[in-house]
Amino acid sequence: MTSVANPAIAPGATEADLDQTTPAGSFSLARGLVAWREEMDAAVAAFFSSCVHCGLCASACPFYVETGDPQYTPIHKLEPLRLLWEQEYTLWGRLKVKAGLDQRRVTDAMLAQWEPLLYDSCSMCGRCSLVCPVGNDIQYMIRKAREGMVASGHAPEGLVAASVRAVTTGSPMGLQWKTLEVQIKHVETATGLTVPIDQPAADYLVLLSSMEIINFPEYLEAITKIFDHAGVSWTLSTQCFEATNAGIQIGSKDIAAQLVQRVVDAAEALAVKNVISPECGHAYTAIRWEGPNVIQRAYPFKVWHIIEVLDQLRAQGRLQTEGKEDDRLSLHDPCNLARKSGVIQQQRRLMDLIAGNFVDLKEHGEFQWCCGAGGGVSSNERAEPLKLAAFKRKKAQIEEVEPERMVTMCATCRTQLEEGLEEFNMDIPVVGLTELIADHLVEKG
Amino acid sequence: MAAYPHPGRPHPLPTTAATLGEALREQGVSRRGFLKFCAATASLMALPPTLAPAIASALEQARRPSVIWLSFQECTGCTEALTRSFSPTVESLILDLISLDYHHTLQAAAGTAAELAREQAMHANAGEYLVVVDGSLPGPRANPGYSTIAGISNLQMLRETIDGAAAVVAVGTCAAFGGLPQARPNPTGAVAVSDVVRDRPVINVSGCPPLPMVITGVLAQFLTFGNLPELDEYGRPRAFFGQSIHDRCYRRPFYDKGLFAETFDDEGARKGWCLYRLGCKGPMAYNACATMKWNGGTSWPVEAGHPCLGCSEPNFWDAGGFYRALSVPAGDTRGTLFAAGAIGATVGAGAAVLARQRSAAAKAERTPVTAAELEQTL
Repeated sequence: MTSVANPAIAPGATEADLDQTTPAGSFSLARGLVAWREEMDAAVAAFFSSCVHCGLCASACPFYVETGDPQYTPIHKLEPLRLLWEQEYTLWGRLKVKAGLDQRRVTDAMLAQWEPLLYDSCSMCGRCSLVCPVGNDIQYMIRKAREGMVASGHAPEGLVAASVRAVTTGSPMGLQWKTLEVQIKHVETATGLTVPIDQPAADYLVLLSSMEIINFPEYLEAITKIFDHAGVSWTLSTQCFEATNAGIQIGSKDIAAQLVQRVVDAAEALAVKNVISPECGHAYTAIRWEGPNVIQRAYPFKVWHIIEVLDQLRAQGRLQTEGKEDDRLSLHDPCNLARKSGVIQQQRRLMDLIAGNFVDLKEHGEFQWCCGAGGGVSSNERAEPLKLAAFKRKKAQIEEVEPERMVTMCATCRTQLEEGLEEFNMDIPVVGLTELIADHLVEKG
Repeated sequence: MAAYPHPGRPHPLPTTAATLGEALREQGVSRRGFLKFCAATASLMALPPTLAPAIASALEQARRPSVIWLSFQECTGCTEALTRSFSPTVESLILDLISLDYHHTLQAAAGTAAELAREQAMHANAGEYLVVVDGSLPGPRANPGYSTIAGISNLQMLRETIDGAAAVVAVGTCAAFGGLPQARPNPTGAVAVSDVVRDRPVINVSGCPPLPMVITGVLAQFLTFGNLPELDEYGRPRAFFGQSIHDRCYRRPFYDKGLFAETFDDEGARKGWCLYRLGCKGPMAYNACATMKWNGGTSWPVEAGHPCLGCSEPNFWDAGGFYRALSVPAGDTRGTLFAAGAIGATVGAGAAVLARQRSAAAKAERTPVTAAELEQTL
């Protein structure tokens, strides 16, 4: 680690010096820079060199729009990574450093300054990537920048703690199987159905998020009812029930790989054909998109979000519903699901089944606005004021169409919507789409 | 001057008038017509309209300036354009009423007598006369034998003549920029007037041919204010060459709407759409055709349905095909593009290899993050 010539350290400082001034543990600036160099791929180089500094990403970011603070311009959040790229990966940058014309350096102080920008003011919602006129995937680079922040010891405490709990206990909230077992008993009593556990060769392995188990136990009850209704072969796994991935949020592919591997091991142990991500946005992108990359192999099973599965059942005629909600309902698309994964029409077709008075938010689908809590922001207590500030955009969107209830399909979004609406004294309940579907199933005759 | 090649003009203009005003009046040009010309001249020279009477008074009082017109490697097109107006206009009268003491196309004298007239004019008006040149000339390093008059090389004649000149007006693209004689492969080693004249002001009135009004405008300014007009980077009077054909073209709205003629006989051509895709050089051509038009304001090339050739610009002959759209690079650029591409690809590939090595080294060197390490920081 210390053998490599490093032009990006402070002038006059050796890397050993830096090691002593860096935060506790084995993390260091030098280690963070090594992590960044590994992340510096052709896409990053192309993105940085094609940025035209137009600032359109700012107007796409809820954190900038609601605070008006220019430091929250998305591309600015990447300045330390960009500086490293310029000074080590571009000809002019290298010449300027060699000739002593460029005295700027990526330092621990700089990373400490950028930590709130990379974590507190970014939910990795990807709206900036969508509007960038030259096609720079800014969100992709934020994800990469976080790798170096973790390795240099500049990750927020809340996310570090969640990551440690996720690895050591199997849940970012420290939840054990026995807690889930209590919920399963409740569900079985309430429905009179059996929740299948560790069923080999089931069609679907159902994963959950700790947030759902604690805050929204009705989700498990809903899928138990729906799958019974539709005759779906499914199972939970005692080996792994947690779908969320704190490693993705903190930005450590090592931690992420460990957590994804647990899901893969559980799915392979039971030889299931499909794995269902729960009503959680980042869990879905973690397993579906990042997973095979971080464990560096393809899965022998398919991954679906619960909403995709429900829509497939609907298309196959296996979802028989009756009656419609008659109050005015609107939909919040989770960023990870809609913008980052293209699941947009599925939830609307499902809404058609059960909503008699549905109104879409003006900007929805791929251009929806983030609730403000994703990407690890909700696990980071320091980000609380910013999280609420960013929510104001969602609030404004909701006020535009004045629904009586909001529907969504991500536990983090749902919690944020509930807390935010309460903060602004708006009496608009938030429900999960899966539960709404379960409420309207035709009773078996 | 006895020969008048004006088909529409019945009589020659023998005059004894001492000033321009008298001469014009003698020719039946009304005061009103004359003032109209002065107002037009003022606006063309970007002067405030209040200066029109000043121009009128100066022109009326002006002594007939002596002009020596040298024709070198040229086609006489410029002279034709300047003299062949449909009917006598104030411009052509002014042109006639300058004391054109030497112009071998127009003058009656020939041979030794003609050259004598030139020398006399030079001596009589030393330091005050204007030299007008049309045509390029073989340069200092070329064989002077390519173009001679009365056994005198063009270069030598030019140098002798400008010795006592107040200024030199290079009329036409050949004189201004080398034009057709200088086009590749330039067998005569032709150069522009400004390439060999360094010690006198040179005004380039480019165009193939140039607009008659431009030359009279320059003369009018010289007569009125005794100075020369403001010039652009190519030595052309900014008042006439300040705006592109494209910016003042009446077909510009079609360009803005994206309506183009694709061939010379399609619907777009019949409807008078933009000729850009037929090779119009309007966007890079700076001239006053679009506003002043030709033949007494009758029409101009684009109005007649033909794209602008950009004839007032340097090297317009060698700027690729006249009918190739501007976005198509001029000339054969394949070799250059291929070389540039090859160099770029090599440099890029080299840089990519270096960057990849750096990232690969980091990958080998990186220590994975563990939960235990993270826990220590809590």
